[in-house]
Amino acid sequence: MVKVSKYLVLTSTLGLLVTAPVAAATDGTFGATSTGTVGINASVPGRVRISKLTDIDLTNLDPTVAASRAQNVCVWSNAASRRYSITATGSGAANAFTLDAVGAPAAVPYTVQWSATSGQTTGLSLAAGSALGALTSTAINSDCSAGPATTASLIVGMDTTTLQSMTSGIVYTGTLTLMVAPD
Amino acid sequence: MGRSAGPARLGMRIAECTLIALLCHQPGTAQSMKVEVSGLSDVNFGQITNFQTDLRQAQSVCVAANSSGLRYSVQASGSGSGGSFALSNGVYDLPYTVEWSPTPGGTSGVALSALTPLAAQTTSERGPRCKDGPTASLVVVLRASETSRALQGNYSGSLTLLISPE
Repeated sequence: MVKVSKYLVLTSTLGLLVTAPVAAATDGTFGATSTGTVGINASVPGRVRISKLTDIDLTNLDPTVAASRAQNVCVWSNAASRRYSITATGSGAANAFTLDAVGAPAAVPYTVQWSATSGQTTGLSLAAGSALGALTSTAINSDCSAGPATTASLIVGMDTTTLQSMTSGIVYTGTLTLMVAPD
Repeated sequence: MGRSAGPARLGMRIAECTLIALLCHQPGTAQSMKVEVSGLSDVNFGQITNFQTDLRQAQSVCVAANSSGLRYSVQASGSGSGGSFALSNGVYDLPYTVEWSPTPGGTSGVALSALTPLAAQTTSERGPRCKDGPTASLVVVLRASETSRALQGNYSGSLTLLISPE
C-alpha cells in the first residue's frame, strides 16, 4: 500500500509584496457634475496546488506480472504560462521510493513516473528528491472545478524482480510525497 | 427736504426683501444644481493571501447635492477595457466589482454596472463638502472566483465616480 501525500507550496517570486498606488485618489469639485477617482492595487503571489490524489493499492499482486497503477491528478499553477516543477520523495531511507513491512527481510523499491498530461499510463521517471521542471498545467483554477478535471498523471510501478522478492502474507506500506512549485 | 418712505414704497421694499429671502432658500434651479464627491481614498488590497472568500474594501465618502430632495445619481467606470472594472498586471486582467450605498459605514451596497448610472440616491448634505460627516459608502470587491485563478503579479487600476444631480 502506497500512501500518497500532497504538499501545497506557496511561494512568491515577487520581491515587492505591497504595491504602490497607481495614482492618489482625487476628489471631485462642487459643480454641475462631480468626478472623483480612486486607485486600486492588489498583489497575487506565485501559487501552485496539487489535488485529487488517491492512495495506491498494490496488494494481492501476481508476482509474475509487473504492477503499475496510474491516477489522474490536478495540478494548478498561477505562474506565467502555468509552469510548475514536481519533486517526489519516498518514505524510505534517504527519501527512497521503498515500501517496508514488519517482518520483511528488506524494503522493496517502486518506481514513480509523471506526465503533465492527464490519462497517461507512462511518463517521465522521477528520481527521489530531484525536481522535474518546465511542466505546464492546463488547469484554470486551483481545484480543477472548472475547465479540465485533471491535468497530470502519476504512475507508480513495481517490477517482477521486486515482486518475487517480497514475502507473501504481509503488507508492505510506504508514503510518497509530491511537492509542486511554480517554475 | 428728504423724501420719506411712504406706505407704497415701504410695501415695495418689503416685497423685495421677501423675494430675495425666497430665492435664498429655494433648491438649485436646473442651471445651478450642483453636486460634489469627496473624501475618496485609494484602495489597497496588498498581497492576497485568502483565495477562498471574497475580499472587500469599503470606505465612507461624501456626496453633497443641492438638487431638489438632495438627489443624485452615481456612475462608475474602471480602467479596464471599455470602462470595465478590471485591474491589470500589464498582461492579464483581474476583474473586481463595485457596490454603492447612500449610507456611510456600510460594507455592502447595490452593485454598480460600469458606465450605468445608479439613480435616486439621496444625501443629507447640500454642500459644498460634508459638514456633518460622510454620506455614502463605496465598496470594492475582489471575488474569490477571480483571485483563485489569477496569475501572479502586481495588479493596479483606477475607478472613476461621476456624480450627477437629479
